Amino acid sequence: MSALETFFDNVWIDALWRLLAVLGLMVLVVLALTWIERKFIGRIQMRLGPMRTGPFGIMQPIADMVKILLKEDLRPATADRLVFELAPFLAFVPVFLTLLALPFTAKWGVRVLDLGLLYFIAVSGLTVLGYVFAGWASDNKYGLIGALRTAAQLISYEVPLVLAVLALAMLAGSLNLLDIVEKQGRVPFIVWQPLGFFLFMAAAVSDLTRRPFDVAAAESEVAGGPWIEFSGIRWSILYALTEYTNMFALCVLGSLIFLGGWDWPLGLKWGWWWQLVLIFAKTMTLILVIMWVNGTFPRVRVDQLMSLCWKLLLPLAFAQIFLNGLIIVYGWPDWTFLLTSGLALAVAGYVVYSVIPVGAPSRIVVRSGA
Amino acid sequence: MLGVLRGLAETLRTMARKPVTVQYPTVRREMPERERGYPLLLWDSEVGEPFCTGCHACERACPTECISVIMKDNPLAAEGTSKRRKIVDQFLLDYGRCIRCRICVETCNFSAIAMNNTWDGHEMSRYDRGDLVVNLDQLLAKSKEGGFTPWVSP
Amino acid sequence: MATELDRELETLDINVNVGPQHPATHGVFRMVLTVSGEKVVDAVPHIGYMHRGAEKLSEGVDYRQGLIFQDRTEYLAQFNAEMCYCQAIERLGGIEVPERAEYIRVILAELNRITSHYMFAGAFATDLGVYGTAFTYAFREREYIQAIFEAVTGDRMMYGYFRPGGVVWDVTDDFKDRVRWVCKQTRVGIDDIDRLLTKNEVFLTRSLDIGCISKDDAIDYGLSGPMLRASGLQFDLRRDEPYSIYDRFEFEIPTGTRGDVYDRYLVRMEEMRQSARIVEQAIEQMPDGPIMPEKAPRRLRLPPGEIYMRTENPRGEYGIYLVSKGGEKPYRLKIRSACLSNLTALKQMVVGHYVADAVVILGSVDIVLGEVDR
Repeated sequence: MSALETFFDNVWIDALWRLLAVLGLMVLVVLALTWIERKFIGRIQMRLGPMRTGPFGIMQPIADMVKILLKEDLRPATADRLVFELAPFLAFVPVFLTLLALPFTAKWGVRVLDLGLLYFIAVSGLTVLGYVFAGWASDNKYGLIGALRTAAQLISYEVPLVLAVLALAMLAGSLNLLDIVEKQGRVPFIVWQPLGFFLFMAAAVSDLTRRPFDVAAAESEVAGGPWIEFSGIRWSILYALTEYTNMFALCVLGSLIFLGGWDWPLGLKWGWWWQLVLIFAKTMTLILVIMWVNGTFPRVRVDQLMSLCWKLLLPLAFAQIFLNGLIIVYGWPDWTFLLTSGLALAVAGYVVYSVIPVGAPSRIVVRSGA
Repeated sequence: MLGVLRGLAETLRTMARKPVTVQYPTVRREMPERERGYPLLLWDSEVGEPFCTGCHACERACPTECISVIMKDNPLAAEGTSKRRKIVDQFLLDYGRCIRCRICVETCNFSAIAMNNTWDGHEMSRYDRGDLVVNLDQLLAKSKEGGFTPWVSP
Repeated sequence: MATELDRELETLDINVNVGPQHPATHGVFRMVLTVSGEKVVDAVPHIGYMHRGAEKLSEGVDYRQGLIFQDRTEYLAQFNAEMCYCQAIERLGGIEVPERAEYIRVILAELNRITSHYMFAGAFATDLGVYGTAFTYAFREREYIQAIFEAVTGDRMMYGYFRPGGVVWDVTDDFKDRVRWVCKQTRVGIDDIDRLLTKNEVFLTRSLDIGCISKDDAIDYGLSGPMLRASGLQFDLRRDEPYSIYDRFEFEIPTGTRGDVYDRYLVRMEEMRQSARIVEQAIEQMPDGPIMPEKAPRRLRLPPGEIYMRTENPRGEYGIYLVSKGGEKPYRLKIRSACLSNLTALKQMVVGHYVADAVVILGSVDIVLGEVDR
């Protein structure tokens, strides 16, 4: 008993088994998400999704994995070898590192950092390098253009993401994720910060390069994307694994900081089992919202993408910070958060609505001669 | 913002509907009576010979020229058991060229050729293109088995 | 070294080949865009990948056999193409079509217009990047209508149902009920796609003021169909030069104002509703009776002469120019393709826009390569 305890008290062993646990969790989550996405999108499109591989297509992710592993490992002869091989890892590892700062229950996370939120945002920003490396190493004109475009998109959308999260940190008064969750004991922060939540989700969708912001994939139709020369397991790491892990990480973060994490509404007295259930339920809700948006929206053009970020989301993020600051400094009651944030969101909606001339139906209909 | 919310509501609504997928080949949907599968020849079971007399009418009418017919004197007519003086000797139909336009059926004076309105009128995958050229016995096989009712236009 | 660097920094116009194989569903069409930075400077369409010699083949077969080539040329609006062909022969040969056959033809042609526009809606949405949602909705609705076509003609795509003089056999007994049901159901389907796309802000920013063409330019280029009507000219052959029995029905002609991609989309969606209206009127008025003229000859011989017959296909003005020197086979059958004429305006519409818009504009022209290349 005591030998086992001291074994696991060793800092290195402790870190190692937690790391392995999160790794296993990540693999399971990615496999599950590929299946869920295909079934969910299929349902939106009134069709069944995978049905043949195993009952209800459950083995489909395994089948995909086997197919990808068995593919030939191609590399262009003129490609920069080191950079080419490094690119998928450079895209994936930072995303995995972000998982290490997330507390999944009140007592369990790989590490609980005092600057957890800052760590998350900072490290997830490194994935941009992976895409740039991928585009550069492909030695392909179109790959490079696509990669630079993706890099521009990811970097631009980091800014509203960081600012929205910063506004929230102002509200909570701390960057420690445990503290943020505990402060939402009675009311989750989404109630106080609807605008912040909207900004967070928009920036998250863009960070994942999903519709409506999947310009990188659209480039593949016409001029190629950063993944153009990657195949097999490299492509899978670069595209599928990164995207799904990133989706999972962002959604866990979103449910921790906006939806109340494992604390609201049940509180701490129910035990770690219920906390896990709560946090996964909330994460799945956010993931399904992202997939729902994926299946509904058309793509935004790349210049519209940029102007949306810098002309709409950024001013809104600043507005959110400013309003939060006002309320905190003057000590106004909590419901003013909801009022101001909700108003700002409504104003944003109205601005979008009025900039696009949706009002007048642009057609004349005239009765036929007969 | 309302437009995007309306779109999202629409997809939410569709999620509740039953999927329209029919899982072929486990489930095969029912074919209408007039379904135009690939053509086949009909067997006159009363007399024991094909209806086809080898008159070349369908061969001339076929737009893609996929039919090849050879006619012969009917041995059963000499015996007196059949009213057909001529009968088909060899009938080659290239399913690879056939476009299933049904003009051969329309032209036939003896209602000897019909479109196969069952599932195996469509499931024609073969490994060799040469296997798509069918001869008289293959064409008569389904009708000889019995139970096949072609659709005759009014 | 310095001069090499200078030369490298010079901006070059890249040729982007939107190749014969499209991810979207337009068929084998090649468009070479010359792109400067992000804007398109020049666009050269290359066609001919699907040329199968339909016109020449029609010269070698008689009039009944020649019908099949019309299906295969315009393979998304088959009944409209067959209608044009049969009307051309009937007008040249002075053949009277019985009433019931006329009604059946109009009903099937208008239902085919609805399916063709559904195909447009689905493919267009896919071009814009919707993951496939609008596509599956559109195809579900198409299935309902195609089930009727299959029940009546026996085939799901190459119908070959019309004949010069009428239709080849009568419709099924439950035709009227099914058509009535499908008209109601189609309105639901159109509303579904409408709700998904029409007021969607992302859709609007991608399609408003993209690919504009003015009314005068449209007339100059010889555009027709929804493209012309979206530019503001209210011209529809069903009303202005009525053929068959279109003058008995009441329907509206949707017209746009700006001539952009969004207007074309709206015009086509509204045309679907108007087609459903025509079908509802026709199914009420449909009489009983014969479906082929009584003295229909076994082999059709046309007197010598020539005729140009044009009809309002879903894509525009589809014309058949038929020259007959007597006899059973045409001397020359020329097909005036709506899509080909519409494509001549492609360069004007695309130049000045972004590369991503070029695909959207091509989608809005709604081409069928079989018709473009024949």
